[in-house]
Parts: sequence; C-alpha cells; structure tokens
Amino acid sequence: MPHTVERAKTIAAERHKRTFAATVLSLPLILFAAVFVLYPLASGALTAFQSSTLLDQSNELNGIDNFVSLFRSDGFAKAAGFTVGFSAIVVALEMVLGFALALVMNRAFPGKKLFFTLLLLPIMIAPALLGVMFRLLLNGDIGALPTLLESVGLSVSLFSPDSVVPLLVVLDVLQWTPFTFLIIYAGLQSLPKELLEASAMDGAGYFRSLFSVVVPVLKPVLFAAFFLRAIDAIRTFDVIYVLTAGGPGTTTTTLSIFIYKTAFEAGDFGKAAAAALVVLLCLIPFVPFIVRRISSTGMEARR
Amino acid sequence: MQKNRALTLGAIAVSAALLAGCSTGSGGSGGSDGSGEGTVKLVAWPGPEGDAMAEVVDAYNAGQGKEDGVEVEVTLLSRQDTFSKETALMASKSSDVDIYWTASYNVGQFAPSLEPLTDIDTSAYFPVAAEGLTYEGELYALPLDVSNHFLLYRKDLIDALLSNPAAQAEYEKISETVLGEARAPKDPSEWDLDDFKVAAAYFSQSTNPDSPTEYGTILQAKNLLYNTMIWNDVLWGYGGNWEEDGKAALTSDAAKKAVQLYADIYENKWTSPDSAQAEFPETQAALQSGDTAFAIQWSAAFAALNDPEQSPDVAGKIAIAPVPGGQTHVHALAVSLNKYSENKDAAKKFLSFLATTDAMTQYAEAGGIPAMPEVLEAKADINPAFAQVSDSISEYGFSEPVFPQTFQAYSKLAEDLSGAWVGQSDVDEALETANANLQELLDR
Repeated sequence: MPHTVERAKTIAAERHKRTFAATVLSLPLILFAAVFVLYPLASGALTAFQSSTLLDQSNELNGIDNFVSLFRSDGFAKAAGFTVGFSAIVVALEMVLGFALALVMNRAFPGKKLFFTLLLLPIMIAPALLGVMFRLLLNGDIGALPTLLESVGLSVSLFSPDSVVPLLVVLDVLQWTPFTFLIIYAGLQSLPKELLEASAMDGAGYFRSLFSVVVPVLKPVLFAAFFLRAIDAIRTFDVIYVLTAGGPGTTTTTLSIFIYKTAFEAGDFGKAAAAALVVLLCLIPFVPFIVRRISSTGMEARR
Repeated sequence: MQKNRALTLGAIAVSAALLAGCSTGSGGSGGSDGSGEGTVKLVAWPGPEGDAMAEVVDAYNAGQGKEDGVEVEVTLLSRQDTFSKETALMASKSSDVDIYWTASYNVGQFAPSLEPLTDIDTSAYFPVAAEGLTYEGELYALPLDVSNHFLLYRKDLIDALLSNPAAQAEYEKISETVLGEARAPKDPSEWDLDDFKVAAAYFSQSTNPDSPTEYGTILQAKNLLYNTMIWNDVLWGYGGNWEEDGKAALTSDAAKKAVQLYADIYENKWTSPDSAQAEFPETQAALQSGDTAFAIQWSAAFAALNDPEQSPDVAGKIAIAPVPGGQTHVHALAVSLNKYSENKDAAKKFLSFLATTDAMTQYAEAGGIPAMPEVLEAKADINPAFAQVSDSISEYGFSEPVFPQTFQAYSKLAEDLSGAWVGQSDVDEALETANANLQELLDR
C-alpha cells in the first residue's frame, strides 16, 4: 500500500512537471494570441457597438445603431455584391488555370526552371506596388501596353468603365494564379507514381486518370488552395484601390475598400467596425466546413 | 493544482500588463506642454511639399533650432494614405507625433484632436488660406502650401488656331454643332465653360479628324475626393454651390450643367476614355505626351510641364490661364499641433518659425508654393506661376463650405458623381443621390 501511494505521488509530480513545462512553453503563443488576435478582435467588436467617430470620440455604447446605419446604406450591399461576384470569378479562373499550369509543369521540358521562376514572380511583388506598376504600364498616354497594342493596330482603353472590371479580373488572375499553381504543383509532386501506373495498367486514358485518380487524391490540396485564395479574394484591396479607388461610382468597391473608406475617409470607426464584424460573422461558418472537407478528404486519401 | 492555478493567473497577469501597454496614451484630455526643448516629430507627405518642408526643417535644425533647443524630425508617409494614418493616430489619442500634416478640407474633422494655435502671428498669410483653417472661430492649422487650379493649355496650338482663318471657320462650324451657335475661337484667358466645351471638341480627332491632338482635354474623373475639388470649379463656374442656407443645392440647374459638361466631353471622346481613372499624374502624362491640348490642372503642375527635362515634348509650349468660368477652388496644406503631444511648447517654437516670411522664403526656394502673397511676389523668378497664383487666389478663389463633414462631402460627391461624369449613370439620379447624401452630412 505505501508503495502504491509513493508511486501515485511520483506520477502526480511528473504530471505537474509536464503541465508546468507545457504552460511555460505555450506562454509565448498565449501572449501572441492575446495581444495580436484576441485583443484587436475584442476591441473591434466593442467598437462596432460604440459611437466612435473622429468628431465624437466619446466611445459611448450605442447598441445596434452602427449596424442599422450599415444596412440602411446601399453602399455595403453593393460592395458585398461586387466582392462576392469578383471573388467567385477570379477564384474559379485561378483554380482552373493553376491546376492546368501544375499539370504542364509536372512534366519535364527544356527551360522548365526558368519558366517556373518567371511564373512565380507576380506573387513576390507587393499588391500595392503591383497596382502602381499597372497604373503606369496601362496608362493610355504613356503606358507600354497601350503603345504596343496601338503599334499593331489595336486601340483599347483599359480604364474605361466598360473594360475596368474585366481588367481587374485579369490583373488578379495574373497575380494570384501562381499561388494556386504552387500549392497544386506541390500536391502533384507528392502524388504516388504507383497510383498513375496502376490506372494506366487498368487501361485508363489521360483524362480518365486525371478525373478518377488525380483529382480525388488531390482534393485536400485543391480545397486548401481554394480556401486560401477565396479568403484572400474576399479581402481584395490594394490593386483595386490604387487603380480605381472603387470607381467609377461604386462599380469596383470591394468590402475592404468600403470598410477603409468608412473608417478613414468618413471617420466613422463604429460603422466600419460593424461592417468588419458582419463580414467576419458571414465568413466564420464556412471555416469549419472547409476544414472538415480538407481533413476528411485527407483521411479518405490516406485510407 | 494550486501551482497550475498560479501559472494561469501569472499568464493572465502578464497578458493584462501587455494589453495595458497597448492602450497607453488612449486616455486623458490632452498631452503635457513639455519642457519646451527636445525633439519634435512632424508628419509630412512625399512630393514637392514634403521635400520643401524637409529643407526648411534642415535649415531650422542647423540655425534657429539650436537657439530654441529644438530639433525637428520629419516622417514622410505615403501621399495616398497620410491622412488615413493620421486618422488612426488621432483615433487612438496617440502622442507619437507632435505636428500633424493637415489641410483646409479636413481641419474641421480633425479639430477635436488638435490644439488651437492662439499665439501665432498669421498676418502674412493669404486671409482666405487662414480662414479656411479656422473652425468655430479658432485657428487649428498654419497654412503652408496653397493650391488652386488653372487652365494649362498648348499656346502653340491656340496661336495656330487664332492665326488661321480656315481653322477658325472649322472651329465655328464645330461650335454650331456643339452649342447650337457659331462661336469664334478666343484666347483661353477669355474662355467661359462653353468655350471650353467647343475647344475640347475642336482639338479632338473624334470630332475634328484634322486636330493636331488626339483629345481636346483630359477630365480628372476618378472616384477621388481631389477630383471633386476640380469639378467644383465647373459647378461654381456655372453659378452653383454645394449648399444654400444649410440646404444641399446639388439638384440645381448649375449642378446639372456641371455634370452634363463632363458627361458630354467623356461620351463624345473629347477626353481619353481612360480619364475615368485619371487624377493629377494621369493629367500630367496626357499633357506631357502632347496628345492633349489643355486641361484644368493643379497649380503645382505648371513648372514641371515647362521643364525640358521632365516634359521634353511640350516644354515652352504650355501657357497658363484662369479656369474657364472664372472660379478656382483654393485650399491650403497645413501643419497642426497634436492635442495629445507631450512636447507642445517645443512644437510651438517651430510653428512660430514656420509662420515667418523667412521660413516661407526658404520653403518657396525649396520648391513649395507658400501661402504668403508677399513671398510669392518676391520669388516670381523661381516659378513663373507664382505671380499668377497670387493674382488668381485673390481674384477667382473660392472655398467650399466649412463644416465638420467637409472631408466626407468631397469623398461622397466623388463616389456619387464619378459614374455620371463618365456617362455610366444618369445625371439626374446621381445628383439626387449626391444631394441627399450631402444633406445628411450637413445635418450631422
């Protein structure tokens, strides 16, 4: 009996040591989360329920006034509509093109390394800087691209109201397709060769193997690429703001631009925080769904 | 178990201490005045004004600053986002910066975060510049750089038109189509807004295939608050205003004419289709390329257009005239004292220095356009536009109504009207929306 008590004490002491070590080791993460995640989140959520403007810095609680004002203004709905439409188009294009490029790059060919490097360049450049570059490059009077097109008899006005939305789609696809490509390419590289060899032995052609073997196995990777790009597309700000500032009118105003203008041009921090909170609450339900898809398909693939 | 609880409490305590650190400076009603010596931090934006300010600061630090025991540090933020970053600092009641970069159009909005400047002599400034920085009877900023608009035009092309009878006949024919009356071409200093419209058509290849330029003008039609300031010249030029007796007046005939003028110019391709996203740099590029005959542009643009290095194709050919319609928006870029600064006395020493003609002479020599008529006239040899800036502000200058939401009004008007400027939305509907939104801002 004394032996058992002694043993229990030893086990308890060990457990305390482990708990102590775990607490100490996780302290930096707890602090990081507290300072950079929880505090800003809580502060933002609180601001959404306060009267907080540059002219009225009293920060008094005003219930749901900011939300009422937000939903009464048609700017928020328009921005949400544009953001969803824009994101859906660019993410779809980037997934398809990224996948196609990954399939091309998954084979050996001369100059592959150089092509690979060039392909990744756009994601190395800060989006705001890319916006400034495009602004110069596409300027009708001094830009290289319009001059080049004119030299072959094509006269286009890339910033006119009719072409500005397609232009923004093209620029986003140019910048972010390399991102989806990189993720999918990494997935393809880790694909067991035996799987493809087995499907070939079964007599499956290229497309049959692609859709019946490659795509199902790559599902977690595809979901991850889709998820990361979708989140980023919904947050789109820099390039569009630099090129159009959300116009003409509000034609190209994304939710991020709407929130930025509400906070920093209108000086209405309460309403901007309310808009940010609504966006967050709309996005949160998708997170567990996507994560579940990534995890479950990953498990299926491993089975 | 107790040890665990102690650890958890410890973690919370450290987190709380960190969070408390994050909120430093967010309370209280204002900073201290400080010792009157030490470092003063000033925010500016890049470009000619920030560069000129940096030179004035260097001169101050090397001379007067040593006597005052003050050294000024300049932080240049981005031109696009200086006010946004300052807004964030003001919202957090930060004392990180002592002197903010402000302007006539946001001083009303920023006033709750600024210290009134009561002891500084402002007699050397343009009265309109100082008035534009006065809110509820208190001066909240010192005028630094004054901005207005001119018509910048190709003198060689206008001279050719005025000396060629065949070209004049063609101009009158186009005028008949555009205005319904045969107007003869005039010197741009005599243009009204109808002359502006006919000339835009005459110098555009879409209407006149023999035009020496592809486009008559370039409209700054991007959804940007600074472009509202330029459109306001047209609104005021037609006899309009933002409001009358506190009531928004954007459904007036003048406002309809002002939007319609932009829409007509855009839809008839008398401006580049890309001008839907144009602002200051695009307008400069259009004039520098030689593809455009004239534009309403900011006063700061003139020197660069006549500089052979920066504008080899048009230097020496660009002349300056008042804005057609005889009205120009005027605003002053300015410097203001942060209410939450902890070194106000030292900052005030530097601000007093800035308000002298000596400091503003240095500012002019460094490339700025000071808001002091005496300095502009004395330094006309530096920039040929200086004398005209001085005359123009006194003769044609107007300032928009000053109310706390002035800055928001500029942005909102750009948002509501920029679609109609380029024919994308209906003029009447856009003005109805703009009027309702302006009224809401006036009522706040």
